[in-house]
Amino acid sequence: MEAFDLVNPLTLIVLLPLLASFALMFVAWMGRGKGLDDSIRTVNMGLAVLIFGFTTLLGYEGFSDTLAAAGGFEGLALNEYLYENCDDVLTNQCTLIGAIGVNWHVGIDALSFPMVWLTTLLIPIAMLVQWDAKNGAYFHSLILMMEGALLGVFVSLDLFVFYVFWELTLVPMFFLILLWGGDDRRYAAQKFFIYTFVASVLMLAGILIMYANNPVIQLGNLTGRSFDLELMAMMDNSTWLGGRGMQHFVFLLLLVGFATKMPSVPVHTWLPDAHVQAPTAGSMLLAGVMLKMGAYGFIRLSVALFPASVIEFTWLLVLLGMISLVYGAIVCLGQTNLKRMVAYSSVSHMGLIFLGVATLQPIGIAGAIFMMFAHGLISPLLFAVCGAFKHHYHTLEIGAMRGLARHSPWMAAQMMVGWMASLGLPLMAGFVAEVAIMIGFWLAFGWWVMLPALTLIITAAYYLWSMQRTIFEGGADGILPDSLHGEDPVDITWHENAGMLLLGVLTVLFGILPWFFGMFDMMSAYSTNLVTDVLAPMLNELGVMP
Amino acid sequence: MNLGTLFAGPDMATMLMPEWILVLGIAALILVPNLGNGTFRLPIPGQSIRIPYLLGGTRFTLLQDPRIPAGIAIVTLSASLAAAVMSQITDGIFEMASACIEANGTITDCGVDRMWMLKVDTTARIFECIFLAACLLATLANMNRLQATPLKSIAARAYKDAVAEAKRQAKLYNNRRQVDFYVLLLMVALGMSVVAISANLFVLFIGLELASLATYVLVAFHKETKEGSEAGMKYFIVGSVSSAAGLYGLSMLYLWNGNLAIHSGVGLAASWEAMAASGTWDALPVLGLVFMLAAFGFKVSAVPFHFATPDAYDGASGPVAGVLSTASKAMGFLVLMRVLLSITLADDGGVWYCAIGAIAAITMTWGNIAALGSRNPKRMLAYSSVAHAGYILAAIAAIGAVGPGDAATLIAAAVIFHLAVMVSFKLGAFLVISLLEMEGRGHDLSDYHGLARREPIIAVSMFVFMLALAGVPPLSGFLSKLLMVNGIISATVGASSASTLAAATGSLSWVFWLAILIFMNSAVSVFYYLRIGVVMFFEESDRKMRMSRAPFTRIAIMLCLMGAVVFGFGPLANSLIDIVMAAAAGLF
Repeated sequence: MEAFDLVNPLTLIVLLPLLASFALMFVAWMGRGKGLDDSIRTVNMGLAVLIFGFTTLLGYEGFSDTLAAAGGFEGLALNEYLYENCDDVLTNQCTLIGAIGVNWHVGIDALSFPMVWLTTLLIPIAMLVQWDAKNGAYFHSLILMMEGALLGVFVSLDLFVFYVFWELTLVPMFFLILLWGGDDRRYAAQKFFIYTFVASVLMLAGILIMYANNPVIQLGNLTGRSFDLELMAMMDNSTWLGGRGMQHFVFLLLLVGFATKMPSVPVHTWLPDAHVQAPTAGSMLLAGVMLKMGAYGFIRLSVALFPASVIEFTWLLVLLGMISLVYGAIVCLGQTNLKRMVAYSSVSHMGLIFLGVATLQPIGIAGAIFMMFAHGLISPLLFAVCGAFKHHYHTLEIGAMRGLARHSPWMAAQMMVGWMASLGLPLMAGFVAEVAIMIGFWLAFGWWVMLPALTLIITAAYYLWSMQRTIFEGGADGILPDSLHGEDPVDITWHENAGMLLLGVLTVLFGILPWFFGMFDMMSAYSTNLVTDVLAPMLNELGVMP
Repeated sequence: MNLGTLFAGPDMATMLMPEWILVLGIAALILVPNLGNGTFRLPIPGQSIRIPYLLGGTRFTLLQDPRIPAGIAIVTLSASLAAAVMSQITDGIFEMASACIEANGTITDCGVDRMWMLKVDTTARIFECIFLAACLLATLANMNRLQATPLKSIAARAYKDAVAEAKRQAKLYNNRRQVDFYVLLLMVALGMSVVAISANLFVLFIGLELASLATYVLVAFHKETKEGSEAGMKYFIVGSVSSAAGLYGLSMLYLWNGNLAIHSGVGLAASWEAMAASGTWDALPVLGLVFMLAAFGFKVSAVPFHFATPDAYDGASGPVAGVLSTASKAMGFLVLMRVLLSITLADDGGVWYCAIGAIAAITMTWGNIAALGSRNPKRMLAYSSVAHAGYILAAIAAIGAVGPGDAATLIAAAVIFHLAVMVSFKLGAFLVISLLEMEGRGHDLSDYHGLARREPIIAVSMFVFMLALAGVPPLSGFLSKLLMVNGIISATVGASSASTLAAATGSLSWVFWLAILIFMNSAVSVFYYLRIGVVMFFEESDRKMRMSRAPFTRIAIMLCLMGAVVFGFGPLANSLIDIVMAAAAGLF
């Protein structure tokens, strides 16, 4: 088939981890009892690092070329992609299931590249942090499978393929939680799978309505419709789906799927269970990348294709965002479980993304995208710390342990970096995102900005309070938890430390230089394009002046 | 029918080749194991000249091997399947070929308007492929499974005592039971094939009964457990009542129209169209239709005719339950579509689509809720089969709502696609259960505990089958469900120029909400499908040993696994969609 153009780098980074993980698991099973565990783990890690290097090169080359050619990232206009494998799907260059208009159409742009890079970066770090997992051959292979599925979500420009990868991410994560999770893992794994599946079938209904209204003339296409995203983006927006009413309907269907994945209150209840029960590497990926799938899908599909509905439902987005922000923060205050607190802080931070998008300002949307990226660096660090805490102290109760700094100085330091980054300390990545969103919010809604800004104080409160209780206090010798049964406390292992250090360094790096590796430039270029090409004309058309 | 003319034309031979192969296979199954050294002594006094005539006497040891009947059945079914596939292939590519046969055996071009008895076309052949593939996989799976004598076990080791050993050998080398089983299975295949190619409701009914009667016996054939014969009895009673109702409905149609041809100038479709055009509805055909719906509702196990389904599936052996839930169900839907789409859709399905839609909604919801509560995986699969019937009925209701046209063809194609790929994952799930049944278990959720540790490949296959049943991408179960829902959605979401949300949702046809109901139901179903996966991978088992080796059962499971994966995503899925689209066009 000419469709699978394997020379295409994106096809490679999606299919290689998927196929390799199956092969490695098969090898692990065939060679069970022969001590292959370590070598399979190493191969997994090698592949993950290789893909990371490859993606970095890809971004460096692609974006520096564009930069040189057009004097900035504005060169990559909306609906233009780097490394797109077929320019025109209608010529059947890349049909996958031609009869119903499914194409293997992949590409990256300024929105998806940060996510792709983040994914390839987090996978080796997650593997590193849990390098000593039991049954490592399967554990690390499942993480590699996860990488393929996640990358598939971020690079596919065909909604069928997008949905396939979207659901495919559930399977490895289900097994990671079910087989390597905490005490209540069975319940958590099932809840995670079913909850998100229910939400995404509604999203699928929305996608199918979009599909039904995307007529094409393509050889071999029996339905005369196409799932191609690029073609949908070219439709005349005022008449697409028959009119605004149906657009609103589809927008809401999609919103259910994306809001559940992000997650936003009131459909967030799967998250605390899944995060708390998942193994460390699992929760790192859940928080770091899987939540971003929701935000990514929201910007890629809902905002870019349904500008009229975004404008119509701005109030809903602000409402959901505010409730998530405030509710998440208040619930965090009351948590006694460290990991649960971190999980709810994700709900709170994801609320900021809705707020950022709802501003309809370039700076606000860029801030939302940077929030996705920054949260993708910070929350894995938080979960790595929680995982290490559980691993070495066998508890997650905040009050049970006092004086961590004395017994495990490295862990305490990492914890402090993570907590500070997450509460939005200046010079750290989270701060950049929050400031950008707040500026956008001020531009759009004026002094209402005080509402989210003041909520950030609660965030600071719960982080500082928990830090105070865990790291400090407890007198000269601290208080050791009962779960340690009198054993001597130990500090984190080298691989945990290495993984956390990498994340911490990157967090600071992107806090000081947000444009490092072109990240913030890409995001602001994308959001500027989005606003000038899509949202602003729609605002004019609807007579709502920004 | 004139047998001579059937063989006369070269076209004819290829057109009915799959059926003839099945007939010959049945004959061979009866004859071959009975071959022995029987001789006939010439009645010449003083002489002892014996002429061997092979039948009777002491049977040849080789032919008493219990695997021989399965072997014959496998060869027959494979040859028949190959013939069915080949008849639609010209020069290596898929090409539709059709022939119509009249009552006197004359073959006519299907373009000419005549009273046909049989119509061989892509629609018929794709359904035959479904039936034959299901029977073939069941045969493969049964090869290592069917015991020579039920209820008693035969000692594995040789006795020292010569007499006892001879008795043991005689028991071991006895394939009477196998012969019965595979003759019945081939009769199921033959009956179903006749249903597929019939162009006349009477021929269709004969095929239906041939297949049904054989399945009743097959269900009762599971004598290793007490439930088997009870299930067979129950299935037979309910089935025969529904057949009687169907026959009654059929006779009403005959009284009304004077013949039972489907497509013809004076056939049922034409008369129905004339009646619909005149605007006055005769009671006779409408009542007949209702009776036939009741009869075929049983075949597809739609609520409220589903009560025998869980008992029958639970009582039957795994492979037989697999055939019931795939081939038999596909036959039910074929019949339903022949009656509803070919005959009454002539101008629109206005008479029945509301009723079918309501039945569909109840069927899928009921099936899923009942499956949620059952701890016996076989009953769970039976109820999930009820739920799947609901999805398909919803699609058929949508066809009725939109009337004939491209949209209707698309939905019908999706239904055929679903029936076709169901052979892989549904049958596969039953075969895994069958593997457990060989160690006398498999009827309780706890029997699946720790299966992943004992048999990782089998457990992974079972998990894939469950995900496919739930409709998780990229498996074929997802694609088939997506195609059905997509058909419904594209047909009902027209270009409504509503400008507000309320107006837009108000403008949606109620059939659209059936699609949403399908989605919600598959989300509910994930719970019980996932439960099987969870107990296999999560729970600990008290058993450490591997399961029975049963190589052929495992081969069949692997074939199903491949089918569940390759038809979900990629070029093979594409080819299958092409073929079912062509087949669906033949239904209208």
